[in-house]
Amino acid sequence: MALQEDSLWYKDAVIYQLHVRAFCDSNADGIGDFTGLTQRLDYLQELGVTALWLLPFHPSPLRDDGYDIADYTAVHPSYGSLEDFKTFLTAAHNRGIRVIIEMVLNHTSDQHPWFQEARSSRDNPKRNWYVWSDTDTRYAGVRIIFIDTEMSNWAWDPVSKSYYWHRFFSHQPDLNFDNPEVFEAVWEVMKFWLNLGVDGFRLDAVPYLVEREGTSCENLPETHAIMREIRKRLDQSYPGKMLLAEANQWPADVRAYFGQGDEFHAAFHFPLMPRMFMAVKLEDRKPIIEILNQTPAIPETCQWCIFLRNHDELTLEMVTDVERDYMYDEYAVDKTMRINLGIRRRLAPMMENDRRRIELLNGLLMSMPGTPIIYYGDEIGMGDNIYLGDRNGVRTPMQWNGGTNAGFSFADPERLYAPVISNAVYGYQAVNVDSQKRFSHSLLSWMKSIIRVRNAFRVFSRGSMEFLHPSNHRVLAYIRQIGEERVLVVNNLSNSAQAVELDVQRYKGYIPIEMFGRNIFPKFGELPYLLTLGPYQFYWFRLRRF
Amino acid sequence: MAEDTFLSDDLLRQLMSVGEVDLLVGITSHSSAQAIRQAMQVIEQSFQQNFVRQRVVIVNIDGGGPKDEAEVSAGNSDGQPEGNPHVPILTSLRTVHHVTARFSGTPSQGTALRTVLAASDLLQARACAIVSPTTSNLTPQWIANLLRPAYRDNFDFVAPLYTRHKYQGLLARILLYPMSRAVFGKRIRELFADEWGFSGRLGTHCLNQNVWHEAAIHSRPEAWMAVSAISSDYRCCQAFLGPKPQPPTGSGPDIVEAIRQTVGTFFWCLETRAGSWLEREGSEPVPTFGPEHELTSEPVELNLQRMFELFCSGVKELEPILSTVLERETHAEIMDIVAVDAKTFRFGADLWVRTLYDFASSYHHQVMNRDHLVQALVPLYRGKIYSFLQEHANSSPEEMEEANERLCLEFERQKLYLRERWTKRVEVKV
Repeated sequence: MALQEDSLWYKDAVIYQLHVRAFCDSNADGIGDFTGLTQRLDYLQELGVTALWLLPFHPSPLRDDGYDIADYTAVHPSYGSLEDFKTFLTAAHNRGIRVIIEMVLNHTSDQHPWFQEARSSRDNPKRNWYVWSDTDTRYAGVRIIFIDTEMSNWAWDPVSKSYYWHRFFSHQPDLNFDNPEVFEAVWEVMKFWLNLGVDGFRLDAVPYLVEREGTSCENLPETHAIMREIRKRLDQSYPGKMLLAEANQWPADVRAYFGQGDEFHAAFHFPLMPRMFMAVKLEDRKPIIEILNQTPAIPETCQWCIFLRNHDELTLEMVTDVERDYMYDEYAVDKTMRINLGIRRRLAPMMENDRRRIELLNGLLMSMPGTPIIYYGDEIGMGDNIYLGDRNGVRTPMQWNGGTNAGFSFADPERLYAPVISNAVYGYQAVNVDSQKRFSHSLLSWMKSIIRVRNAFRVFSRGSMEFLHPSNHRVLAYIRQIGEERVLVVNNLSNSAQAVELDVQRYKGYIPIEMFGRNIFPKFGELPYLLTLGPYQFYWFRLRRF
Repeated sequence: MAEDTFLSDDLLRQLMSVGEVDLLVGITSHSSAQAIRQAMQVIEQSFQQNFVRQRVVIVNIDGGGPKDEAEVSAGNSDGQPEGNPHVPILTSLRTVHHVTARFSGTPSQGTALRTVLAASDLLQARACAIVSPTTSNLTPQWIANLLRPAYRDNFDFVAPLYTRHKYQGLLARILLYPMSRAVFGKRIRELFADEWGFSGRLGTHCLNQNVWHEAAIHSRPEAWMAVSAISSDYRCCQAFLGPKPQPPTGSGPDIVEAIRQTVGTFFWCLETRAGSWLEREGSEPVPTFGPEHELTSEPVELNLQRMFELFCSGVKELEPILSTVLERETHAEIMDIVAVDAKTFRFGADLWVRTLYDFASSYHHQVMNRDHLVQALVPLYRGKIYSFLQEHANSSPEEMEEANERLCLEFERQKLYLRERWTKRVEVKV
């Protein structure tokens, strides 16, 4: 199966996010690698995902799980070689799966040769590739992101006896994008990977590229100018490739990163994610409707990317204090589960392993506007290990079977980069791909089914969304539409059975056809359409008229 | 034959959509759309400031006032909050529901309360409050103060406490409070209030009582609810709210109507709850959230002379009724004080207490038409007020509080007198 030619492919994609290190180890060294990943591509194709997003796989001291890059144009030896990557990329493309890789352009590792040169002397040609200061008082008031570990955005460099700027960990100095040489160097890196055939970049920490005194040093016009230039060069030389923005901001601020369709192709919708969890806990559609009502329209060629969980903490930056407290109280009572401004847990444990809630959240993910991203392991309901430190608890080895090391590796268990989950509920003997493949009612089988339905109807990826407002607030209902294709989605967010009357008078005469069982439901008429839903149940109806 | 349900299909449909709630605030309207709208805004603000996580509903009972309250309150807070979308806005996490019910029969406060209680029962509300849109200075804090004791501290009945002018609320201070305190043994100052809080438990208990067709319930059901709480094992408290403005002149009931409604209802409550209070001695304070009762003393113009004249003329006019209602000694003393001049006139606490206990007992024994009986109290009340104001023309609020406390103790001291009269066999004079 070859890749379909479609410059808007990212709008229709179902993306699977994974870490090479965590997916499959082919050489028994305890660390996942590209060869292992290549061996598992059939599984991903069978799951139905159409794109992979790989976490950083470059040489790195790994003090921030690879987001501290020490060499942009190589593969970390633990994950294989550049040749292994090329083999993987070709194999993925052969299966119709595109590949998006990380581009961490805001900062490097302090071990990167660029920084080593820059700190070596104040006269070094690469000195101005980073942001230096003799004091730590510049850009006062700029927020600190990793509040659990960092006291300042400035760090003292004992080598060159001056401060350098870092928005993340102190071992991740920020690049100086006011220096045109930096921009050209970054573009060269991107070209390197584009020439190998990657299909897009997830650009990390985009809002923080440029600093200006008296500002928050976030979302500055100069940052947008940089992105427009990258996009221009990409469109000119590499049409069909995409840029995905990581900008953990309010929708109205993220909107600027789409520009006039001349910056990013896609961006994460961060504020929606915690509100989906909130809505299910509150049993109330209000949080979801509020944030989507606040979400501005984006250019036709652009797309939101939505997700439930990812490799980071469930970020609670884009919520109010009241909402954050609520999320902590409901989903992270144990303070060990909290990190920075967020919750370091996977989907299944947050849902208390309640299959109905896991399905409901995935149903929301697959039916709301945007490209859904599935975090590896969530399709089988993997658990987490909150005692591993930082966010490593949600980055444990993929659980393939009930055998040695969960089928992830043949290395001695002690050698694994992280222990496999082994508790009685989420452990690999209980939760693994092989066992779930055997049953048509497993979560994995169900995930395949919902992805298949989603992929079959473009209305989910490109259609408009119109909320219905039934008086029952525990029910979230909306119509997705593109052209004559219409889908009605009805979700019961509550833990109890609900009756709901839907005002579908405008669709009088349409016949709703349930999309999983393809059963015909009574035709819409003049009166409100009565539906009953079990706890956490949802319906997708295709609306047909004959 | 069972009565038809008093809940309309429309209301039931709305309640189905709301589902279980933690907090319910009922508005018994009879007011303008503007007043209701303001009250609802205050309630919503209170939810946003104090109960962001709770499942909440506002139930507006449409008393058929001028305009369309239904339009005011229908729907819920599903939509987009106003303001800059860049900035997070403090709102309730959940939908704030609005339910509007129209009376199916004759509008009355009793029907309104019954409907709210039914809604509370069906929605399993844990704590409820009733507010009146006529209270012009309703604040979010008032709502919170009424709900919190029931929601967080498991109280069943939350009576309001207000800052009053020293001449304001006299009916409560020299009659209803001291007498209810002596009779029921609980020191609740405001039995007749426009706003109060209660638990779902008490609400369900009251809903299930077979009293809703009684005339006394129709006009002032709040006193019956309060008495139901203080005469049983329900946990009662008071919550301080703040200044309670006097309704504009002419908007409230006149004194005759006020006494018919309040004293009449109160006597009816004594009758229905007699088993719970006859043997009770003394009184006990109830927990109070916030400061105790407050009095202020800005100068106020009062026409005392007119009040005294109405007392004298009323007593003379109603003398045959009073002679039927009052014990011989009480009656004689009343006739004695009518004869003195205004300057030396005093209506002593001892006589006032016996007068009221005689009225209550005669009400119980139905010595005459109960409505006429209660109305006959009006001139005597005017006399007592005149005497009270004469005595305390220059008193400080503290001194008035002390006097009020002495009056309360007099009511308690003479409770035996009430008990004896209440239980005595009486021949009804025709």
